[in-house]
Amino acid sequence: MVFFHESSERHTFEGQLVTHLDRIVSRVILLAKLPGDKRRCEVEKELRAHLDDVAEEARSQGYDDEAAVRIVRMRFGEPEEVAAAFASVYSPERLAKRIFHSAILVAVSTVAVVVVIGTVQSIAAICTANSILSTLRDMHREFFGFGAIVAGYCSLYAGERLFPTSLARALLPSVSLGLWLAALFGWLIPQHGPLPLVAFTCAAVGRLLQRVEIPLVWFAGTGGPLLAAWALCGPLISGWQFPWLVWLGLTLSCKALREIVRLFERVFVEDFA
Amino acid sequence: MPIDRELLKGSIALLILRLLSERDMYGYEIIQESVHRSQDAFEFKEGTLYPALHQLHKRGYLRSEWRTGENGKQRKYYSLTATGRKAARRSEQEWFSFTKVVNAILSKANS
Repeated sequence: MVFFHESSERHTFEGQLVTHLDRIVSRVILLAKLPGDKRRCEVEKELRAHLDDVAEEARSQGYDDEAAVRIVRMRFGEPEEVAAAFASVYSPERLAKRIFHSAILVAVSTVAVVVVIGTVQSIAAICTANSILSTLRDMHREFFGFGAIVAGYCSLYAGERLFPTSLARALLPSVSLGLWLAALFGWLIPQHGPLPLVAFTCAAVGRLLQRVEIPLVWFAGTGGPLLAAWALCGPLISGWQFPWLVWLGLTLSCKALREIVRLFERVFVEDFA
Repeated sequence: MPIDRELLKGSIALLILRLLSERDMYGYEIIQESVHRSQDAFEFKEGTLYPALHQLHKRGYLRSEWRTGENGKQRKYYSLTATGRKAARRSEQEWFSFTKVVNAILSKANS
């Protein structure tokens, strides 16, 4: 169509025209954040066909390629405006998709935390010659703890996605959720409320320190709040020993959650961009 | 006389539905037809037609399919669904009622 011509000068103009048209379409697609690859491709193809038609019409009227680009831009409008209109058309769909993906992330994260902590406890049971079955049977009592770890980690991740440029704002979802959970645990399980809250804080701080480039520094993220709680509130589980097992479970859970979040971003990166 | 952009924006759905009630068209064709019928009075940004088409498609008023033209070019043709036909009739009636009322007010004001 517009790619091959005899004159090299003409070819350059054709190339410029093609580049300009591509740029307009790419800008719309980038800013519109359309949900789904298929839809993106379809809109891209549709807009491109339209711009080709406008450019061809301009050239058939005797305009050169530079003028054709100006006419295309003038008639098509600002890509930002078109993208905003597309975004508003598909915003309910995009929101529904995000909620669905978030639910998947939370569900997978919860399963991962249960598996990791279950494994840690099973190994500890073997080492202390206790029954693995009875250890696993009692795991349902830690439901609030598992939920708190996932909530702490995922709330900070959500904050990072919502406010990628401001750490203070990124902390808002975690802080708000933490306060809500403190009230909820205080009401539902007043005797054991502090432990899930500590787990929540450890997971959130663990995620926070995973942002630091220094390897393994995030170990302190899970250890710090636990140590502070232990020093301030005394025994969190039983005895005055530091709860190493809890720390190990939390740390490994944070590691597993980091891998899950990375996988999640790879799979849903387009829709979450 | 150029038409106010906002006024045109508000009636774009009606224009699309009306034109598509006559025959299947693709976006560029809808614009050409609007410009031709309005005798070049319509000067809206063409890019904004496509979000409007997608909105109507999402509402179930339009269906679309890719067709290859004689020159080998692929184009996305839109056509009205049964719901779209009803919506087109309803929109037209609303428009005529609206313009009748506005005309009545304007003619009184001018007399």
